[in-house]
Amino acid sequence: MYVGRRMTRKVIAMSPNDTVRDANRVLQENRIHHLPVVEGGELVGIVSDTDVRKWVLKEEKINEGGTIYRRTGLVDEIMTRDVITMSPEDTIEDALLILHKKRFGALPVVEGRTLVGIITKADILAAFVDTLRIEGAGGVRIEVILPRDISRLLRLIRKLEEMRIEIRSLVLSPFQGEFVAFLRIGTIDVAKVKSGLRDSGFTVPALKDFLG
Amino acid sequence: MSLRRENLPLEGLGLPHPLSKREIEKGFETLIGENRLFGAELNPDIIKKEGEKRKFLVSRLPSRKKLLSRWERIFRDLISPACLFERASTKIQDFEHRENMLLVGKDRIIYDTQIARGSDVVGEMTLFFLAERDRNLGLLAYLRGRRNRIVYIDHIRLSQQSSGYASSLFRYYETLFHDLGFHQFRLSASLSVGKYYWAKEGFDCLDREEFRRMKESLRDYVKERGLPVEEIDINRLTHAYDIALFRKDLKVSAYCNAEGYYSLKKDEEYREEKLFPLGKAYLLSAKPWDGYKIIYTNTPRRTGLLYSPGYLSHRPRAGHPENHKRLGKLIEAIRKDDLQGSLVLLEPFLPDMRSLEKVHSAGYLDEFRNNVRTGKKTFATVDCSISEGSFDVALLAAGGVMAGVDAVMNGRVDNIFCAVRPPGHHAGRRSAMGFCFLNNIAVGACYARDVYGVKKIFILDWDVHHGNGTQEIFEEDPLTYFCSIHEHPTFSFPGTGRRMEKGKGEGYGFTLNLPVKPHTADREFLDLFEREVIPEIDRFRPDLIMVSAGFDAHKDDPIADLELTERSFVHMTRRICEMADTYCKGRIVSVLEGGYNGSSLTSSAIAHIKTLQGRSEPCTSEEG
Repeated sequence: MYVGRRMTRKVIAMSPNDTVRDANRVLQENRIHHLPVVEGGELVGIVSDTDVRKWVLKEEKINEGGTIYRRTGLVDEIMTRDVITMSPEDTIEDALLILHKKRFGALPVVEGRTLVGIITKADILAAFVDTLRIEGAGGVRIEVILPRDISRLLRLIRKLEEMRIEIRSLVLSPFQGEFVAFLRIGTIDVAKVKSGLRDSGFTVPALKDFLG
Repeated sequence: MSLRRENLPLEGLGLPHPLSKREIEKGFETLIGENRLFGAELNPDIIKKEGEKRKFLVSRLPSRKKLLSRWERIFRDLISPACLFERASTKIQDFEHRENMLLVGKDRIIYDTQIARGSDVVGEMTLFFLAERDRNLGLLAYLRGRRNRIVYIDHIRLSQQSSGYASSLFRYYETLFHDLGFHQFRLSASLSVGKYYWAKEGFDCLDREEFRRMKESLRDYVKERGLPVEEIDINRLTHAYDIALFRKDLKVSAYCNAEGYYSLKKDEEYREEKLFPLGKAYLLSAKPWDGYKIIYTNTPRRTGLLYSPGYLSHRPRAGHPENHKRLGKLIEAIRKDDLQGSLVLLEPFLPDMRSLEKVHSAGYLDEFRNNVRTGKKTFATVDCSISEGSFDVALLAAGGVMAGVDAVMNGRVDNIFCAVRPPGHHAGRRSAMGFCFLNNIAVGACYARDVYGVKKIFILDWDVHHGNGTQEIFEEDPLTYFCSIHEHPTFSFPGTGRRMEKGKGEGYGFTLNLPVKPHTADREFLDLFEREVIPEIDRFRPDLIMVSAGFDAHKDDPIADLELTERSFVHMTRRICEMADTYCKGRIVSVLEGGYNGSSLTSSAIAHIKTLQGRSEPCTSEEG
């Protein structure tokens, strides 16, 4: 999955000459947390709601002397210039790992230096929801613990096919030296599937041991 | 006073305590002293009095022992003979009973009287009290002494002006016999005059064929006159009562003759034109018919059971949980459980496509029909296994809820349980899943709104699965509250119904999802129900309560993981009955959804029905 497919294309961006107050308003009105800063279509920085908050607090400190003077700050003063960007050809995993390791909330996506989109934590979560098919009616999750042996996975799939069960999604993860298969299946009669799998020698944990 | 009324009607089936044999004997002696007590023999050849229709003969009084045992069998010693006699002959309005007597026959006790107003005899009446063995009950129940105790008005003749008295008398008797624990109160009367009045009072044709003919001739009349009446409106008439109330908005002419009889056609004799609503005009002019009415007296509420053997014709593949046997078993159990006699039995009708299109898209209905017609084995998903009859049966299930709404809204029953299949609450506007094809309860709710102008409808879904179809259909509708309590979507089909789903647009706040964790049992489940569901009903103040009653949250049900017993269903039913009494004149339409273990479905559904009837001890199984 590529960043280009999951990113938000309609990016709300600011110019370095906009005021901080404007930036704050735009963040609040659109319920977003990041504003790329663009000059002549090219990305020059990024402002987050944290940057705005810091600036406001700093100004308040200066004003503690009792003056009512309010400075009109510009985005240019507070933006981060050294921006980590993605390209539409990067993968979701690239973006996910950067967001995870650097604890960022969003990454602007550029082609050359031109801003073409933004990918945020919310986009990554949406990708997860879609991939696992968590949303929408008609599926139910079951978990099957498998030894680290690919033939067991094949047998599992064959068994489900034999029972004519639709597999809506399948994720295989390591689990205590074994594998656990998270499946979403399209049937109401889950109990029959579980007992069928148990009868064929598969380990299907009880609901109280459900991995979540 | 020997008739004790310690049980208020709403408190259920509890009966007063039996009297001692001595008191019963004293009652007999009083009547003998007054020369009011005789024996009776059934003998069609010798008829008492001149020219009357009574087929019994006054004879010698049976022995004391026989008197006592017969009285015990029929009245269970709940009232003394003298007291019964006094109660039965109470003066109502200006009407008195004269020359009345009590006769003790072999299988029945008879009350016979003349009815007088002042010095004029205006009519006569014969009551039969019987304790009949109900062949549906089975031998065991019979040996335990379970019998249907029935009162018949075997014969009644009253001058025409006395119909006001008759209805007061019937209502009085209905209460009296109810308190004595009689199961049924039947009236038979040949309806040559006052046909409209009797139909309105709930009398139906004794012969179903007769009723069918009546419907046919009404249809012909409508066609002949080119009246703006839809075919479907006539199709859904199931009782003479429905005809009496039919199309009050549409006035037609009827012609009256000198004696006060009516005809729909004008001629020499029937000249005087009068305007009446269609149904009334039709009944006033109808041919005489034999009428009967069963007044169900042994439950505090009149509960309907809607069922058709047609529901068994949807046959999914072998081994499918939603098979015809689950419903067959339930109906069989209702028949055997002394329950059938106390329920008003109703039948579904086939709805027209227009009323279904209020809920489902025309394209979806076509696709479903085509899949069935072309002999496909499943529709949309593997779960939705279909057979030749599936489309028609699904229509009949939706029409069942519509007929249920009819019965509740026009007052024939207080509440109703619609034993339909296939179930419906997973079916969305354009989707079938989880054994469901058409959303029966949604079709019924739209029908209640369109036909009866019901404003606010509260749908409670206690099937163990989330009612995603019903939610989808009503999520933007602030007048239809959808509340579903179900196993948590992470663990259970269909994976929706989280708390965050609260409705959309104008309907936001009118959807409530209450997921519970696997292995939740009665107490926790009912705590949640009391804490969250009841206050919402209070806040919403519905005009009609509908229930998607699945019984698969029962601990014995294989399909899901909750641990409820019958007690939960009884408790929830009782509470919604109270809510319905407060806000919507007791009106509840309950619709069967899931429940796949034969015995837990049966015991839970029966407990549910008995609670709808207002009985206080609805559970029969040990755990309940």
